[in-house]
Amino acid sequence: MRVAFVGKGGAGKSSLAGTFARVLAGTGERVLALDSDPMPGLAFSLGIDRVDEGLPDETVEEYNDDGHRRFRLRQGLTGVGAVERYAVQGPDGVHFLQLGKAHGQRWDNTRQHFGFQHVLDDLPGDGWSIVGDLPGGTRQPFMTWGRYADTFLVIVEPTPASLLTGRRLARLAATAQAPRVVVVANKVRESEEVERVGERTGLRVLGAVPFDPELETADRLGRAVLDHDPQGQTATAVRSLMDVLLTGMEPS
Amino acid sequence: MKIAVVGKGGSGKTTTSAVLARTFARQGRATLALDCDTNPNLGISLGLGEEVTESLIALRDAVDTGEQEHASSADDLVRRFGVEAPDGVHLAVVSAIQNPEPGCP
Repeated sequence: MRVAFVGKGGAGKSSLAGTFARVLAGTGERVLALDSDPMPGLAFSLGIDRVDEGLPDETVEEYNDDGHRRFRLRQGLTGVGAVERYAVQGPDGVHFLQLGKAHGQRWDNTRQHFGFQHVLDDLPGDGWSIVGDLPGGTRQPFMTWGRYADTFLVIVEPTPASLLTGRRLARLAATAQAPRVVVVANKVRESEEVERVGERTGLRVLGAVPFDPELETADRLGRAVLDHDPQGQTATAVRSLMDVLLTGMEPS
Repeated sequence: MKIAVVGKGGSGKTTTSAVLARTFARQGRATLALDCDTNPNLGISLGLGEEVTESLIALRDAVDTGEQEHASSADDLVRRFGVEAPDGVHLAVVSAIQNPEPGCP
């Protein structure tokens, strides 16, 4: 399974993506969780305390391409090798790889970004599932940074700004002829909100996640919601999202 | 006074910006609210509603249309493509992403 989470900032992408990755890994799948957001996020919901580590500079080497300076993975290193070597091992056996984070006023991310992009071009295939977390909004064009995904999960809260973002992402996906794009209604308080999310984004609803005060508590504690409340509403809802995708059931 | 509001996604940047803008405007200050997010939602927080916010033309796209006549100055650009929000705040959207393909992170 290869999925990527997109949506407005604060809609709950990272919380759901991290929980999803661990729940999936808990079934025995080999899971690689990818965070391409230059702001920290996914590490917290995975329960990994290394929130600020991109690929080391040594991952890539500079070369001269007809007068242009370019970067490639260093001699002998493949994307799969980079995952084996640099991905952080997290709870439930999740492998975690993140884009470098912003440091200082003039943060030079060139090497880390090229390294990450090259890894995306050569991800481990058979036997691996990929769960990606993209930055909020439409800033990071998701067909590029989420090009590994066969399903995009657009996370939408039943608020006007989140619905509008979901609609924009759906439109971008349509122009790019993206693979399957579905919406997940998040922070739902009433069932009619789920219908609204489907109607207003024009996307097929994969499922819904209820508003969960325990998720807020976990966030404040800096803990993964799956560790804080393993059988709670969020964990339960994410398990059922995963079941829908795994069984290939047609989402409603 | 020129203020920029920054922070993590979902932490309340847009809401804070909107309340600041309307508060200044109510105090009688001429206030320009600039939405610099490529996924612009500030109009909703200012009270313009979802549909109006969705229909706003980003200044960058306005410039890109390549008309000869407009955009003689930044003020002119805001006058022509900005909208008036409650309390007399002027809102202008700077940029919106229309293309799902390559770009910076």
